[in-house]
Amino acid sequence: MIQIKELGFTYGETGGLGSISLSKEKKHMLPAEKYVLRNITMDLEEGRIYGLLGENGVGKTTMLTLLCGLKKPQLGSINIDGHDPYKREPSFLSDQYYLSDEVAPMNMKAIDYARNYGKFWERFDIEKFTEIMQVLETDPEQKMTKMSFGQLKKTYISFALACSTKYLFMDEPTNGLDIPSKAQFRKAVTKYTREDSVILISTHQVRDLENIIDPIIILDRQDILLNATVEEIAEKLYFDYSNEKADDALYSEMIPGGSIKVCLNQSGEESKVNLEALFNTVHQNKELIKGIFNK
Amino acid sequence: MKNDIFNFRRFRKYFSTDFRTCWANYGLSLLTIAILFPVTTYIVITAFNLFTTHTWDGPDMGIRVFVFIVAMICMVVTMPVKCYGKLTEKHYGAFWITLPASKLEKFISMLLMTCIIVPISGFLIYVGTDAIICALDHTCGRNLVAGGIDLLRNMSDLREFTMNLGDEQLTIENAAVAQDLIRQVSNPWIYVDDFFGITLPFLLGAIFFKNGKSVKTFISIFAFGMATSAMMSPFMANWASEIVSKANSDPQAVVELFSHGIFKHLVLVDIISDTIVNLALLLGIWFRIKTLKH
Repeated sequence: MIQIKELGFTYGETGGLGSISLSKEKKHMLPAEKYVLRNITMDLEEGRIYGLLGENGVGKTTMLTLLCGLKKPQLGSINIDGHDPYKREPSFLSDQYYLSDEVAPMNMKAIDYARNYGKFWERFDIEKFTEIMQVLETDPEQKMTKMSFGQLKKTYISFALACSTKYLFMDEPTNGLDIPSKAQFRKAVTKYTREDSVILISTHQVRDLENIIDPIIILDRQDILLNATVEEIAEKLYFDYSNEKADDALYSEMIPGGSIKVCLNQSGEESKVNLEALFNTVHQNKELIKGIFNK
Repeated sequence: MKNDIFNFRRFRKYFSTDFRTCWANYGLSLLTIAILFPVTTYIVITAFNLFTTHTWDGPDMGIRVFVFIVAMICMVVTMPVKCYGKLTEKHYGAFWITLPASKLEKFISMLLMTCIIVPISGFLIYVGTDAIICALDHTCGRNLVAGGIDLLRNMSDLREFTMNLGDEQLTIENAAVAQDLIRQVSNPWIYVDDFFGITLPFLLGAIFFKNGKSVKTFISIFAFGMATSAMMSPFMANWASEIVSKANSDPQAVVELFSHGIFKHLVLVDIISDTIVNLALLLGIWFRIKTLKH
């Protein structure tokens, strides 16, 4: 389980390094607007695939890098099964994997890369790696320096899934993937991850991850606007796909073949959650949504 | 419970991975430097001699030693950037930090690769290539290893110490200082210390600077050298003027100065100062690894 308590992080005061831990006195002197993340408190439970959504610059990547120990929290704490991620203890690192949004080729074949580095993760399975590579239609015998951006991304996704870690953090994993690969990615994530794992995927492309992410976390600057399961969302919000006019809609948008309206679910009727409409609804009704879901 | 600070099994695993990654990133460059440098030197010098003096004459020991030093410096400067320079890049750096091995294991492996494995491999390949060239063409003379052994033997036979002091030349026969220097210079630690003093700044530069790693390291070394020279120059100037003035009036005083003064322990002073600088560099590398963030 991941426990995040009053987490805060700023780049400004450390000259962009994000590396210096602020002294106790200075932490409280800093104006609130200096923080990218501030007072973030939440628990991430096992057996779930969390979707981390948010506009550019709200701190999605920062949040992921804090969770996997790439950065040090300047306020608050992160506790992952008793580990402080920033201590970067091998016993913790071997049970987590961070897939960066940027990819760079290594000077070797994909299969050699997997053999060379996979042994550090106890549950890494080379056969699983080649299987996922096949699912994603990428040749493991190909040299990584000769791969396209999409192929590289698929290689790293295959590697991340083959590590079978309990904690998996993926930053914009579908960026650069073609349309069939996005579907294959969704299939691979549901098929090749552990049942007790905690997966946190940040994305802008909400449609790419529709049907696999649950719960959904929508991050705003220094705030969490929403942290709820799809069931909870469907319980409290109604997604109306009919062409009828709804004056009480919190959000409405024309979509091909009709329109979509998001209203408060007063009848208790079930509806299919549309992530893009949800995201826009939350952003246009920040306080209302926070009030509804924090009850 | 697993040891999160140092575990031999995990270290072996990490080191073999580090070795393979380094080989993939730097293997070709290492072979190019260690093989191409002596071969190119041989071809160019032999061709030059053939055209200018019309004789088949390979490069002599002096040229080969010079090229060897240049090659080793090239190796030391380029290796850390190629093997570890990517740590400052977001993707590889993040992957390296989250690779399940302890910071100490990563640190030791990095030092072993940079200061021992790669330089020794490069050295062996270079002297091996040189030995093959010398065996095939006797006009080159003795190979580098045999030449080095000869040099050490000749040094231990040195019985006099000559200095140029202004216009005058002072020769001290059976000089204690010469013998002391030779004895101290024969201490292998001085070479280890000096070698680390060359490799460690470039390793630190490779993992510290985000771009222009080698250039910025050179500039830093130059700036450090300038600063220490500026600090030491008043003392050195005093000594130099003292020696020159005494050399004109009383040459024996210079002999005394060299036999009993700080010059007698010059090598020791050098070793101590280099060790201090190297320890500071090691500390810098360790803290960079410990606090590297992406």
